[in-house]
Amino acid sequence: MKISPDAERNRANWDRRSDEYQTQHAEFIGRKDEPRWGMWQLPDSELGILGDVAGKDVLELGCGAAQWSILLAQRGARVVGLDNSARQLEHARQLTAAAGVDFPLVHASADEVPLPAGTFDVVFCDHGAMTFADPYRTVPEAARLLRPGGLFAFSHSAPLAMCCWSEESETMERHLVSPYFGMHRFDDLPDQPVEFNLPYGEWIRLFREHGFRVEALVEVQPPAGAETTYRTAEETEWARSWPMEEIWRCRKT
Amino acid sequence: MGALLADGGDLAVPEDLTPHAAINRDEWAKEAAGYVAGAERNWASEEISWGILDAPESEVRILPDVEGKDVVELGCGTAYVSAWLARRGARPVGVDLTAEQLETARRMQEKHGLEFPLIHASAEDVPLPDASFDLAVSEYGASIWCDPDLWVAEAGRLLRPGGELVFLVNGTLLMLTTPDVDPVVPAGTDLVRPYFGMRRFEWESDDGIDFHLGYGDWIRVLGSHGFEVERLVELRNPGHDAGRYHLFTAEWAEQWPAEEMWKARKLA
Repeated sequence: MKISPDAERNRANWDRRSDEYQTQHAEFIGRKDEPRWGMWQLPDSELGILGDVAGKDVLELGCGAAQWSILLAQRGARVVGLDNSARQLEHARQLTAAAGVDFPLVHASADEVPLPAGTFDVVFCDHGAMTFADPYRTVPEAARLLRPGGLFAFSHSAPLAMCCWSEESETMERHLVSPYFGMHRFDDLPDQPVEFNLPYGEWIRLFREHGFRVEALVEVQPPAGAETTYRTAEETEWARSWPMEEIWRCRKT
Repeated sequence: MGALLADGGDLAVPEDLTPHAAINRDEWAKEAAGYVAGAERNWASEEISWGILDAPESEVRILPDVEGKDVVELGCGTAYVSAWLARRGARPVGVDLTAEQLETARRMQEKHGLEFPLIHASAEDVPLPDASFDLAVSEYGASIWCDPDLWVAEAGRLLRPGGELVFLVNGTLLMLTTPDVDPVVPAGTDLVRPYFGMRRFEWESDDGIDFHLGYGDWIRVLGSHGFEVERLVELRNPGHDAGRYHLFTAEWAEQWPAEEMWKARKLA
């Protein structure tokens, strides 16, 4: 299937960095006690995003090595994991085999999902395709794939944080570094994936345009002493004052 | 039903105001004289425009057609928004806690020959019946001077099912970058206070108490009082010298949202 130039670029990037990513993070995000979100691995049971998934059809958009999907399959969900990187899906196959679970793993970009409309109760991702694919294509895809009443939930970087990231210092600054208006496509470094984000109001407009009701925006504040393999201690300290990561929960009407 | 100032009656304000409401009433009694010129300018204007940026409603398009609708303005001040809506066929009622502001509003009503009820009350406890309005609006009124859970609950009570709530507040990023100094200086780029926990603000430059929420908290408060969020419009300085700058520079407001408007609908 032909994919967009950004999807092509991000596929090549993730194929290249997948092994290193899993070496660095797999142990941290592969904890098997309960589903956990984001950079600080806060439990879904505390954040109240997905809740009980037993018996539900669930699609993970950008599943990586499927750490999330495996946990949901073990809790009775009928899971499909989608990822744009073949190498990430090889890691996923190893982990599903080791966990003794089996579910479809689809190699595709989330901006054009080769699955039929109206077949899922939950479409979600945790710093997955909603970061690495264009929301103007993924939000309508999520709307197409969900049944009426279905849940669309995803974590990503907070738009506010996008204004405070400095390419020069390569860290979060305690001042506004870049403009807020017009944010969409972040393509600052040639060896990094293209990332996407939108102003808060534009996210809400896009959700509404595609028939979603906004139920919650959970702005993640890591608790004191929270650990992560994704951020420096200084960055976690930044995130104790300002939102670096957030989770949207939307309902298809 | 509270006393109608439009009738010239004396003002029966409930004595059980919240502490911040009592403080803000006194603060606005002092400030009111400084808002007469603005009242005259806005009452004379034919166009609806929003906020410090004077964003024209013809571009923002956040209001429904108000013809024949019952509208309550929560924290109406000099009631120019109600006047704009009355000229478009609405039946507005202005609610404000500051007698001095309502006196200006009444003078403007007489001058422009445009009468509608003005009610002297806090938007946290409005002496009007349930489900009696189609639209609630607040532009730097209850939207920043009242406790969000109290005034949004009142808006929810006053609106009919399917009714709309439109309000304007200071931009969240502006509230994070405004130094707390007297006299006020424009917002810079430093994050001078945390986002988490933001709600109730006191300032060196005045004695008022205002309220500002982050994005997730607004969605939560609106949802918890029976509203569905329909829009968040982040107003951008159009690039020319529109508006009156005091809290921010024109350059700042071209890059970051100095003002935000929310629109929500009361669920049936």
